[in-house]
Amino acid sequence: MIKICTVYFEGFYTPDYVAKLYDSLHKHTSVDFEFICISDNKNIKADTILPYNHYSNVKKHWHKLKFFSPLFANQNKNDDIIIMDIDQVIVKNIDELISWPVKENELVTYGQWWDNKLGINGGFYKFKSGSLKFVWDDFIKSPEYWQLHYYNKGDVHKKWYGEQNYVKWKIQEHKARLTKTPLEWLCKYSDNYKENLYLNNLYMNKFNTDYMIMGDDINDKIKIIHFTGVGRKINENYMR
Amino acid sequence: MRIICAKWGKKYTDWHVKNLKHMIDTYSGINYDKFEVFTKNNYGNMYNKLEIFNTYKDDENIYFDLDMVIYNKVPNLIRKNFTLMYDWWKDPLDLLTAHTPLNSSIVSWTGDISHIWKKFKSNDKHYLKIYPHSIDEFYYKEIEYDTFNKICYSIKNHQYDTNANKKFSICTFGQMQHLFEKGWNGWWSTYFTQSNAD
Repeated sequence: MIKICTVYFEGFYTPDYVAKLYDSLHKHTSVDFEFICISDNKNIKADTILPYNHYSNVKKHWHKLKFFSPLFANQNKNDDIIIMDIDQVIVKNIDELISWPVKENELVTYGQWWDNKLGINGGFYKFKSGSLKFVWDDFIKSPEYWQLHYYNKGDVHKKWYGEQNYVKWKIQEHKARLTKTPLEWLCKYSDNYKENLYLNNLYMNKFNTDYMIMGDDINDKIKIIHFTGVGRKINENYMR
Repeated sequence: MRIICAKWGKKYTDWHVKNLKHMIDTYSGINYDKFEVFTKNNYGNMYNKLEIFNTYKDDENIYFDLDMVIYNKVPNLIRKNFTLMYDWWKDPLDLLTAHTPLNSSIVSWTGDISHIWKKFKSNDKHYLKIYPHSIDEFYYKEIEYDTFNKICYSIKNHQYDTNANKKFSICTFGQMQHLFEKGWNGWWSTYFTQSNAD
């Protein structure tokens, strides 16, 4: 079984982000999956809703790490677990992505073509259930420390950020394999006109193509649009 | 004989109280006269628990934290003197650097031990300042105590066990309370009242 796992909490995004991801996943894959969401709002679109505990010492998107534990979300030994952020929209068939053959002790993440020194994208993690349980087990020993560690170090500039840094560090520390999906599948986009021009140029040069997004046209190679970055929301054109 | 637990703030809910009572009534074999829930919240933290000693000053008393799993008949926990657990499951090296080796997830006493509360209350700001990490550090450095033998073990490093440890009848989930929440499953879930906590 494939479980696609997400986190939603009130404050920045709205429940329609979850619905948009849920619908676009179903529209663009023939692969069977269960869509699970940790949420503080019971009125969201998901096959399974698990409670978001505001009184826990686990904060915000760090709840994502729970899915690394095989004890969470009714995981079975042979399940493939996919964790996705809700700030993305699927635009083409993603059978290849969803059914990407992942091995034990391996983490699959989006390949990124823009300048990104970290080399991991928290928008998409895929792994075998339980094979990377150290990610959660090490985190929960000291959640207060890890949740502010990369902010305190100055590696990230917003409080509570650094979850990707933590996952990357644990993958390295435990000598797990990090695999990246083809770069051209992912589109990075924002609601900033100038930044989108820059990103279009970068994509065009990198993949020798005419455009990334032009008006309503999306490059054929692109499967996912990720509205990545601190404080970013999905461009309103893609929320329709 | 009195069973006592404490609930304040929003970290624990009525479900946790109901669940503790369910496990005591169903598995522990403890015969008690009263089940008390202490809810005063003067400090907003674990130091609230000290006022319990000023509230229940007679009879035999056993206090349990709400993150305990009781899954079998427990040994006799009634004690005359103020008695609490020690963290025998911790690595000795960790214990050397820990603020305290004590663990007050289970406390037992008979009669009046309100001197503990009175000592703390007489200079509470000072004690909160010098022992900010844990009430157990206050006990360790300021109070005379006895400790139980190994009556309980910790879920830490045992969360992937398929069954409860048969050598014990109680397991503490201290700092692993998330395992009580809905969505988490393990051997402990089968001992809970109805479903897990929301």
